[in-house]
Amino acid sequence: MATREAGKKMIMLKSPDGMEFEVEEAVAMESQTIRKMIEDDCADTAILIPNINSKILSRVIEYCNKHVPTTGATGAAASDTVAPAALAEDLKIWDAEFIKVNRATRFNLIQAASYLNIKGLLDLTSQTTIDTISDNSLEEIRSFLSTKNDYLPEEEQTIRRENQWAFQ
Amino acid sequence: MDDSHVIQGISWGDMVAHMERGGMDRGMVYFGYNLILHYVYSYLPDPPVSPSPAATLSLSAAPSPPDAVDRISRLPDAVLRDIVSRLPAKDAARTAALASRWRPLWRSAPLTLADSHLLPDGGAGGQLVIGAASPRAVTDAVSRVLAAHPGPFRCVHLTRSTMEEHRGEMARWLDILAAKGVQELVFVNRPLPIDLRLPATIFSCASLTRLHLGIWRLPDTAAVPRAARFPNLRELGLYWNSMEDRDLDFMLERSPVLESLFIMGFQSGLRLRLVNHSIRCIQLGFSFAEDIDVVDAPSLERLFQFAELTDSPKMNNGRSTRKRSSMIKIGSAPKLRVLGYLKPGEQELAGSKENIVPSVQILGIEVQFGVRNAVKKVPGFLRCFPNLETLHVHSHPISEESTGKVNVKFWQDGGPIKCILQSMKKVFFYEFRGSRSEAAFLKFVAEKARVLEQMVVVVAIECFSLGDDNVRVKLKPLTSAKWNSKACRLELFKSPVTDGSGHAYNHELASDFEFADPFDLKYYKRAERISVS
Repeated sequence: MATREAGKKMIMLKSPDGMEFEVEEAVAMESQTIRKMIEDDCADTAILIPNINSKILSRVIEYCNKHVPTTGATGAAASDTVAPAALAEDLKIWDAEFIKVNRATRFNLIQAASYLNIKGLLDLTSQTTIDTISDNSLEEIRSFLSTKNDYLPEEEQTIRRENQWAFQ
Repeated sequence: MDDSHVIQGISWGDMVAHMERGGMDRGMVYFGYNLILHYVYSYLPDPPVSPSPAATLSLSAAPSPPDAVDRISRLPDAVLRDIVSRLPAKDAARTAALASRWRPLWRSAPLTLADSHLLPDGGAGGQLVIGAASPRAVTDAVSRVLAAHPGPFRCVHLTRSTMEEHRGEMARWLDILAAKGVQELVFVNRPLPIDLRLPATIFSCASLTRLHLGIWRLPDTAAVPRAARFPNLRELGLYWNSMEDRDLDFMLERSPVLESLFIMGFQSGLRLRLVNHSIRCIQLGFSFAEDIDVVDAPSLERLFQFAELTDSPKMNNGRSTRKRSSMIKIGSAPKLRVLGYLKPGEQELAGSKENIVPSVQILGIEVQFGVRNAVKKVPGFLRCFPNLETLHVHSHPISEESTGKVNVKFWQDGGPIKCILQSMKKVFFYEFRGSRSEAAFLKFVAEKARVLEQMVVVVAIECFSLGDDNVRVKLKPLTSAKWNSKACRLELFKSPVTDGSGHAYNHELASDFEFADPFDLKYYKRAERISVS
């Protein structure tokens, strides 16, 4: 239910396990998926977020709360005294703490960030995986990701030949 | 090396002869080319992906020991494609060999390719030295990647090949880029020569949204099909290209939604005559400043100039441009809010109606306070902007002897300056060197400005060489002034820059419309604050 509280428009988000989260519209709109729903006027009642359980959804909201741009009088005053670089530095430290989670949670967050289309969160959550894949051998990557090599040796040879430039 | 190679209007043969007469050798010429390339590389946009800074990061960043569950393979294709498209091309293509789940992903994710990542060190070694052999392996790999990936090409950065040696590839690459729908393209030719003609196929890349071209001779636009255009192009960067004025006009005319134009280096004097309905931000740098005429630009919000080469006669066909001041003429630009850094004394400024530009709220000026004739131009400049709210002044050093002081009386006798009296809220003064002219200007502002809220003075390091007391004495006219606006905060900082270069200019922030005042980089906040009393 879209309600008003302290002059700010609120939005209700529901997880499939029945939990409800009331969040400021501006915070919810960090998600491009939700933004589109709101802009298309599909958000009169609570928005059900499929496939994202309450534990993950609450972490996503936590992230959006932190990253929503500050506006209005207080925001202007803050940016006047604090260098933008310092604010960015603050957020970086916060992000580094935020992402200290186990692998299961991290992959759930990746999936949520992708579905909700929150670019910053997707960048943050997939960075560990990207770092893992960069600069490591195929065997190491498979081991980090617990991915099993299901190719026959000759199949893998064919694939290596197709993209030989990448294996030099 | 034949004589047709041209740098800034001088043929290669003339240049070598000139330099040899001056006791220099070809090595110096190579050094010059490297310097140009260095600047081009430092201003180009960064590729959206970069190789991991260190392999150790990936190991230490893994927050928990891997469990046996292959969680990543359970992610939807869209998410895996997104991850693959964030990898450098080499790593991305390699994922096909991880497991069958990964096989189709690289080809079905939009391509991101930066050829510097294909260098043996992944580009970590910086630019290649001119004169060294062209990295053929990189050029060959680019050809294979472009052929192997079906498109679309989200982002392709090609900056590491000496295209003169690869004319066949150059033509084929552009054909493929056009056919496979490249969206963001950075294409820089490694000199020499620096005037290699870019194939006109570039005009077939209708899918482009961002285009940055460096060290080319632009296509002869007379030979480009009339229907060719860039219907989606929002950002255009041109770096040390050789082109005629009409080539630039042609590119702008064919880019109906272009918002951001960045021109760095120009082989001849730049004469920009702007009639354009979409451009919001223009940045001009390292050009031999000549005339800029904003005739009709209803969307233009920001106009920047940086590092004009006004006194480099050697590089400008032997002609000194020092004596000639360039002209900036602002005709119709009703949204122009941010302008700078202008140089009173070296530039002439003209507004259309009664010589005023009422829309400008933020202005940057660079003033040689030791040059009497430069300071005398400042009031005239300020009168052009009756609604100015924020003024950034960079005090520029002069190499010659000072040509006389300008005292407070000069300012007081000059008649009212409307923006100082009525609208000026913030004044930033960078690299205060302690001259009487500088102090007189600041004192004048302090005593006249009615609505001033903040004045920031960043004191140059050289001013401290005679001790802190010296700084206090130099600032005395300001600190003891009778401030017209009682609410104004005066903030004094010791400059963190040691070479006197002062204001930093950040070209990325300049075209970032979220960043309200691109001149306010707050670099001085890194340094210590000086107490006002």
